[in-house]
Amino acid sequence: MGRKEASMDLSQYQVGKSSKTVRVFIWIFMVVWACINLYPLYWMLTFSLKDNLQIWTTNKFGLPDPWVWGNYKEALDSGPIFKYFFNSILVALFTIALTLIAALMATYAISRIQWRFSKTVERIFMLGITIPIQASVVPVFVVLNKLEMLDSYQALVIPYAAFALAMAILICSGFMTEIPISLDEAAYIDGCGRAGVFFKVILPLMKPAMATASIYTFLQCWNELMFAQTFNTADKYMTLPVGIMQLTGTHTTNWGAVGAALSIATIPMVIIYVLLSRRIQDSFIAGAIKG
Amino acid sequence: MKKILATLLVLVTAISLCACGSRDGDKDKITLTMWCIATKSDSNRASYEAAIKDMEKKYPDIKLDWSATENEAYKTKIKTAVSGNSMPDIFFTWSCAFLGDFVKADKVYCLDNAYKKFANDLDEKMCKNTTYDGKKYGVPLTMNIVGLFANMDILKEVGYNDVPGTYDELIACCDKLVAAGKIPFGCAGKETWCVTEYLESIIEKSCGAKTLDDIFVNGATWDNADVTKAVNIFQEMITKKYFDPNGVALSNDEIKGNFIAGQYAFYMNGTWNCADFAKAGINVKVAEFPVIDSSKSKLGQLIGGPSDTLAVAKSSKNAEKAAEYTFELGKLICKYGYLDGCGLPAWKVDYDESKVNALTQSVAKIVAASDYMVLFGDTAMPSDEAQKYLEFVAKVYTSEVNGKQFTDGLKAAIR
Amino acid sequence: MRVMTNRKNDWISIILFLLPALILFIGILVAPLIASGYFSFFEWKGFGDKTYIGLQNYKDLFDGTEVPFLLSAKNALLLALFSLIIQLPLSLGLALLLGKGVKGERFFLSVNFLPVLISSVVIGTLWKKIYYPTGGLLNSVLRALGILKKGQADILWLAESAINPQTGKRYSYILGAVFVPMIWQYVGYHMLLMYAGVKSVPPELREAAKIDGATDGQINRHIVLPSMKQIIKVCVIFSVTGSFKAYDLIAILATYKTRQAAVPSILLLDQTINWGKYGRGSAVAVLLIIMCFLAAIIISEVFKDREKV
Repeated sequence: MGRKEASMDLSQYQVGKSSKTVRVFIWIFMVVWACINLYPLYWMLTFSLKDNLQIWTTNKFGLPDPWVWGNYKEALDSGPIFKYFFNSILVALFTIALTLIAALMATYAISRIQWRFSKTVERIFMLGITIPIQASVVPVFVVLNKLEMLDSYQALVIPYAAFALAMAILICSGFMTEIPISLDEAAYIDGCGRAGVFFKVILPLMKPAMATASIYTFLQCWNELMFAQTFNTADKYMTLPVGIMQLTGTHTTNWGAVGAALSIATIPMVIIYVLLSRRIQDSFIAGAIKG
Repeated sequence: MKKILATLLVLVTAISLCACGSRDGDKDKITLTMWCIATKSDSNRASYEAAIKDMEKKYPDIKLDWSATENEAYKTKIKTAVSGNSMPDIFFTWSCAFLGDFVKADKVYCLDNAYKKFANDLDEKMCKNTTYDGKKYGVPLTMNIVGLFANMDILKEVGYNDVPGTYDELIACCDKLVAAGKIPFGCAGKETWCVTEYLESIIEKSCGAKTLDDIFVNGATWDNADVTKAVNIFQEMITKKYFDPNGVALSNDEIKGNFIAGQYAFYMNGTWNCADFAKAGINVKVAEFPVIDSSKSKLGQLIGGPSDTLAVAKSSKNAEKAAEYTFELGKLICKYGYLDGCGLPAWKVDYDESKVNALTQSVAKIVAASDYMVLFGDTAMPSDEAQKYLEFVAKVYTSEVNGKQFTDGLKAAIR
Repeated sequence: MRVMTNRKNDWISIILFLLPALILFIGILVAPLIASGYFSFFEWKGFGDKTYIGLQNYKDLFDGTEVPFLLSAKNALLLALFSLIIQLPLSLGLALLLGKGVKGERFFLSVNFLPVLISSVVIGTLWKKIYYPTGGLLNSVLRALGILKKGQADILWLAESAINPQTGKRYSYILGAVFVPMIWQYVGYHMLLMYAGVKSVPPELREAAKIDGATDGQINRHIVLPSMKQIIKVCVIFSVTGSFKAYDLIAILATYKTRQAAVPSILLLDQTINWGKYGRGSAVAVLLIIMCFLAAIIISEVFKDREKV
């Protein structure tokens, strides 16, 4: 597999004792790559301070001229954007919680208990990551409608969790199979039942998996638009992406205001991510030591 | 960990209880629900808000619970709701085929009875696009046509003080513009509907409105020599560099921005742009596309007409009340929309219109003088035909098919 | 110990542990899947009357006159291939570098992840500017480098079909143009997953190997990578199925009406919503799910064999 070879070559260069030029070269590469990845953030901020003419025609890349601070006012006036923000956070948190509970339990049953169909069941769960969200809008709508759950937080939490489930199971089983089975067996000898092993042995070691799965579940539901605008119409339960779409008109859209709203939505996420990534890394390391 | 699980469970339960407990309302009032596409920054938003405010006074016993969804997503949403049998009482729809599908599926409430009360304010002609088997199903709001917008500052540079009125003059003007290093037209190839704004006008002014209308909605064949010729004329304009060569890779926002920034002399698009151009403070005039074949077409034959529509769901518990309410609401939305310059009134005007922006007023004059309006092809045709048609239109703009291949291809694909 | 792990009442605990996941899975994922399979045999608008037409929808997809399904499947496979040979190695390289500890590890980790956090609307609009014909970033760079000469026309990156005015030749770069941002945006995504894998290698193991005189390259090859097999498998599955389901950036950059850059998800939505062909859209969904599922199984098999060897 070319994929592996290529990466190994790359990894050989990062040897601590390797020559200085190679290290400098890698450092430069990292910095350039970081700049490429920082650019969209910078661009989003400038975009949010321009008017349509600047965005589309006269000033595509430069700093805003003039600075259109009104975009932020328009974005904030367009609706209770903080309420949408709160809704999004709430939906995301519940989705993460539900996904993690279901995924960890299922992974435990699949990868720690030996039974005949465990592999088959795992494969069937894997089907979940293959289902495109676009294909499910109408059927899921019908299901939610029957359960009288449209226009509520559950209308999003449940489908989001269902769609994130397969991915979370994959991630969790990736980590769980790395935990030595002897730990379980030692616990059984100590008189633990299934639940005891699950809570006392497995869960504490699954912190990195939980952190990773949370991030990916979060990403999946934070920017999700299609379900959100079909299942939740009421202002009360509207999530941020739907709120932002309220800023696009049929024939005329003030893109600067859209940019402003997107900045309002993104910046806190970036800050939270930066702050959290510290803790996430700590949990990775903690998990590694214990494992 | 157990504690966390327990807390989460409690929270989930609490939230579901909150969600269930919040569904109550006034008992004396009827609540009607409405879905539309007037999102918070849509140009029609203000007219909806103003109209709904008036309606609260007029119908104190009715509470309107309305929400807006972005255009493209709205199509998914309303079709999903029709499919899942959970339509709102009142819903926004496009006329002709879009509403027609719902009518055929027996999901729409017939408005014939309610119309009687409003017959004096709303011309029968304006309901043409929402009448199926002789029955009315829709309340028209504002309407729009395709206009030829001209940047007068640029035209002045090549010696024109008015929009060229005949086809020959227009061609001469374009030649002069090209010679002077200016781009006459901008057209967004990434959005095929923008190409149809040009192509349909050129076809109409070549073969006549009646012929085009018959092809679009009355089952006439696409195999028409005049259509072939018109497509060739359009492509000749492209080869003569009348169009921005970048256009095939641009979207309408970009093209419109370029026009406002003074990069094009002309821009053909819907008259909903009037308010934006007026706001941008550019020196723009609007006209209709000149006649190409005067033996078949004439001035006053336009592309456009009432398309934005409100309709009432058959499943509504208060369908009769909702029907009357919808007419009244539509009339007001139309009024405020016109006053804001979002479009032209489909309803009769019985108020002062002098404050409407000059551009919209000149469109109103064009419409008043018109005698035949052919609705935008992609709205008029059934949805699958419309998609096939759009694909061929896109290929015309990138010169992948010529006039003959266009008409032959559509004859084979549609009829 | 076998006795302990195969106790009879295990079926109860197995079912209990699986229950939450099963409810979600069957209610929200399997039911719609069955519905799609059923509807794919009908001519149906999504409401109103249905007509049973057998396999006609599938035939329509494969004969390709109305729906470029085969092209879209090919595009999806191409995207998956490029993700495998460009995106994942890049992610792995970054993860290994960062996991080992580079100056500014945390900074790089956060920054490289940014494109995933930023909405596709922003990313899409930004790339529209990059590909803008006259004065766009890419063409300007090409001009500055002398690749585009003075008299040469701008390259229309996002055109479905364009003609080079100098040579008269037709070209279409739209597929490549939409692939680049799609592959780039998710490098950070896979990087973070792999980083978690790198970090879960116990540092003592590393230390021990170092004391034995192993170079970092050897450590990576013999200790880090083998222990990351599961995570890499997860990344490969995400990357491939993600490519098959790719949607939002294509919808923004190439639009629904794209012909050259069509992918299954775009066709699915275009068919059900714009064409009013719910049955045919369901057929696309069914085929897409089969594609993803087959890919996931093949990938699992590949990794299983490697585990045994």
